[in-house]
Amino acid sequence: MSEKPFISIEGIAKRFGAQVVFEDVHFGVRQGEFVALIGHSGCGKTTILNVLAGLDQPDSGAVLVGNDAISGPSLDRAVIFQSHALLPWLSAIGNISFAVRSRWPKWDGEAVRSHCQRYIDLVGLTGAETKRPAQLSGGMKQRVGIARALAIHPKMLLMDEPFSALDALTRGVLQDEVLRLCAATHQTVFMITHDVDEAILLADRIVLMTNGPYAKVAEIVVNTLPRERSRHDVHKHPHYYRIRNHIVDFLVERSRRFDEDRPRDYDPMHPPEVRPGLGEPPPPAPLRAVT
Amino acid sequence: MASAFRDPFNPDHRLSSGCSCGEHASQADHDQAAALGGTDDLAARLAETAIVKAVFGADPARRAFLRTVGTSTALAALSQFFPLAAAREAMAQAPGPLEKKDLKIGFIPITCATPIIMAHPMGFYSKNGLNAEVVRTAGWAVIRDKTLNKEYDAAHMLSPMPLAITMGAGSNPIPYTMPAVENINGQAITLAVKHKDKNDPKQWKGFKFAVPFDYSMHNYLLRYYLAEAGLDPDTDVQIRAVPPPEMVANLRADNIDGFLAPDPVNQRAVYDGVGFIHILSKAIWDGHPCCAFAASREFVTTMPNTYQALLKSIIEATAFATKAENRKQIAEVIAGQNYLNQPVTVVEQVLTGTYADGLGNVKRDANRIDFDPFPYQSMAIWILTQMKRWGQIKGDVNYKQVAEQVFLATDATKLMREAGLTPPAMSSKKHVIMGKEFDPAKPDEYIASFRIKRS
Amino acid sequence: MRSLALRSALLSAAIFLLFIGIWQVSSMSGGGGSQVVDDEYARLVGAAAATGQKTPFPSPSEVGAKLWQHLSDPFYVRGTNDMGIGIQLAYSIARVAGGYLLAAAFAIPVGFLIGMSPLLYGALNPYIQILRPISPLAWMPLALYTIKDSSISSIFVIFICSVWPMLINTAFGVASVRREWTNVARTLEVGPLRTAFRVILPAAAPTIMTGMRISIGIAWLVIVAAEMLVGGTGIGYFVWNEWNNLSLSSILVAILSIGLVGMALDQGLARLTRLVTYQE
Repeated sequence: MSEKPFISIEGIAKRFGAQVVFEDVHFGVRQGEFVALIGHSGCGKTTILNVLAGLDQPDSGAVLVGNDAISGPSLDRAVIFQSHALLPWLSAIGNISFAVRSRWPKWDGEAVRSHCQRYIDLVGLTGAETKRPAQLSGGMKQRVGIARALAIHPKMLLMDEPFSALDALTRGVLQDEVLRLCAATHQTVFMITHDVDEAILLADRIVLMTNGPYAKVAEIVVNTLPRERSRHDVHKHPHYYRIRNHIVDFLVERSRRFDEDRPRDYDPMHPPEVRPGLGEPPPPAPLRAVT
Repeated sequence: MASAFRDPFNPDHRLSSGCSCGEHASQADHDQAAALGGTDDLAARLAETAIVKAVFGADPARRAFLRTVGTSTALAALSQFFPLAAAREAMAQAPGPLEKKDLKIGFIPITCATPIIMAHPMGFYSKNGLNAEVVRTAGWAVIRDKTLNKEYDAAHMLSPMPLAITMGAGSNPIPYTMPAVENINGQAITLAVKHKDKNDPKQWKGFKFAVPFDYSMHNYLLRYYLAEAGLDPDTDVQIRAVPPPEMVANLRADNIDGFLAPDPVNQRAVYDGVGFIHILSKAIWDGHPCCAFAASREFVTTMPNTYQALLKSIIEATAFATKAENRKQIAEVIAGQNYLNQPVTVVEQVLTGTYADGLGNVKRDANRIDFDPFPYQSMAIWILTQMKRWGQIKGDVNYKQVAEQVFLATDATKLMREAGLTPPAMSSKKHVIMGKEFDPAKPDEYIASFRIKRS
Repeated sequence: MRSLALRSALLSAAIFLLFIGIWQVSSMSGGGGSQVVDDEYARLVGAAAATGQKTPFPSPSEVGAKLWQHLSDPFYVRGTNDMGIGIQLAYSIARVAGGYLLAAAFAIPVGFLIGMSPLLYGALNPYIQILRPISPLAWMPLALYTIKDSSISSIFVIFICSVWPMLINTAFGVASVRREWTNVARTLEVGPLRTAFRVILPAAAPTIMTGMRISIGIAWLVIVAAEMLVGGTGIGYFVWNEWNNLSLSSILVAILSIGLVGMALDQGLARLTRLVTYQE
């Protein structure tokens, strides 16, 4: 990594009793960068996100923002939860203003209201301001969640499988929205997902995690697709399937056997960065019979 | 008529017992004096009575003495030894300003409370400068607790209750006083109509009886009556405490076979066709005490003037209630919703003694209930013997001392003490209960004489 | 479907009329009969006793007359022991309100703490479990003995009976607030007090209100019994007093009014519950 990352994960590990979920996890997210983390269930993806959010503490290692280890949650790192986590007794705009008032407690009511309205409009919820979460569709709820996160102007956005609970159609629309919003604001984003297409569509770099227990970062895929992408034509780019095949291959095969086939020069502190889109050969094939 | 109202200096009357009033030369005079407003000197006479009794003890001696020297001489002679005038004055009027004017007095809605209740609507309290509120109360335990809690300044209680409270039976021992008995007689044994042929208590084996409270004359009289008939009240029958309002309902529901209860419960059972009156309690012990006017010793000592005024109101009301011709008027006043909350005729039958017995007969007994404020200490001793007899109190009992402490025979005793004199023991009287004499001087022998007992 | 409500109402009315009709007919069949005693005796006893019977259960028309009598002048005060049914109900409601509000003021903050702290929950739970099933009236002698004031004792009894459902429900509601809602507050750096009032309280409010609704029902049940025991004032005392007078008609009127007030209290809280209920 050439430039100093905005946030860097330094060898964190999490254990539940004697069970080591993950260990020696190192990677960083640079300013304005969109990083996705992909891996199978049980590799501790959500825990890593919670550690970044400050909601959970690692058993060893640290997360640094600048030069300081984070000690807890911060308004600088907004979270978009998988289950949207809206407060059901508040209206759409009420949920957003709850966050806005937390960020700027001294603002008067009108300032809060107009600020919230701007974000309501931004996520396309104009007209649904006063609706309670129960009256909104799943996609609309997650829009409120996105608006809530963006409205507090976080330095970093943490997204925990934000679209996994949505139907495919809605998911696609929302992915486009996020792509648009993040590109427009140069938002620094860290996203958890298990959807390869989503990761390729949205991320600049994709962190691949091996299966748990003892999960670790196997490698980091650099997305060599141009930054201006769209869901409709991204797959037409020649890099697309190379990247996709590489990741799918990892998820299907290598994530499982990483410890056996580990390259000799593997260093968890500096996981290899690969660029499969450029046609680079995959990492050295293991010396073993094809079964 | 109540002996407390008798002139102790009239040699023609016995002080200790009997029914005729000896207070006046003629009945007309008596009526006039005893009527409302004519009772001012009652308390004074009460003081004199106490002193004369104390000096002469037994009646014959007093009579002989008065015959010899004449009434006026006797008074003069006595005055040399006892500050009679002072005592009379102290008793006749509240000696100082009232410490407290607004009083709360609790009562249970039964005719025993007649003096306490009627003193309110008929103005006996206000006449003595008191603004008393009489509060109907749900049960004996509640009236006890509310009095102990000082929510009530004084209360209507069953006469054994102050003794029990003082002795700590059924509650913590708290010095209690009973300055006045309210009524004598006035109770009855009522049986369910289905038992109308069982007029002999020997046929009552297995019956379930109700009494108002464990520490009540009702309990002791019923036990006495049953035991005299050879039934052991603890094993041959069941006796349980049931609040008076629930008695008729329970009798109707066949939960009990009968009760020895205060009126108007008995008469109400007849009125509703549920029960019949087996006997009046006066057939067991004519002149027995029943309910009492009670106050804590603390109230008596910290508010002596208020206490005197209150006692005076009660004694005056009691005197008014003794008059047969006043009874109808009293019945009308106290039957109302604010007091007993009963049909007037029921209360009237109790007070006038002309009543339906539940078997189709109209009976007449003018002394069905009577009112006599004088708390004979011998009555207290009898009650204590019964508490002992039925195991409510254990160990040795200093009968005389407890009786004296609780049954304040008159405040004269107290006034004499204040004057630096040693009051002689009050003369108790002998009582006759179902033909058997009770000598208050020999309580232990009396208990020992019973075959059925728990001690 | 509009007619369903109408039809239910009609059926309700029919059931009521049928019930009253059967009652009236059965109470008439018992009456009558000729006098079996002489006139003097008959004047001294009730009408039923004069015909050799027991006073019967009152008929609906008697109860109706009594109801009208009580309703036409519900707020009279003719003495310490003689007040209208409206005044008595007001006394009972005031006592219930006093004990209940005290209980809420105690149970909701304490339940909050218990719900927030598994340590406190574990430490206090045994006491709560032992104290909760005790019949509130069993406290009455103890209260009278220690508090030494019967009206405060009644309020205490209301307090002690209504405190448990509120305490338990508050603790449960607070403890089961969804983790993600508190996480939202944490990521927004919301202070503990604001989290308590803006997140945990509204989240637990429906559960708390359910506890409060259970409590008001119990409190209203208990006040009648407590007042029958202690007396003085209140609708329970009214029932006791009319029992003393063996006036079943008045007792039936009291029962009806107790039911109506109880329903009103319950409906009031149900309405409040609806205000704080949210759909997830």
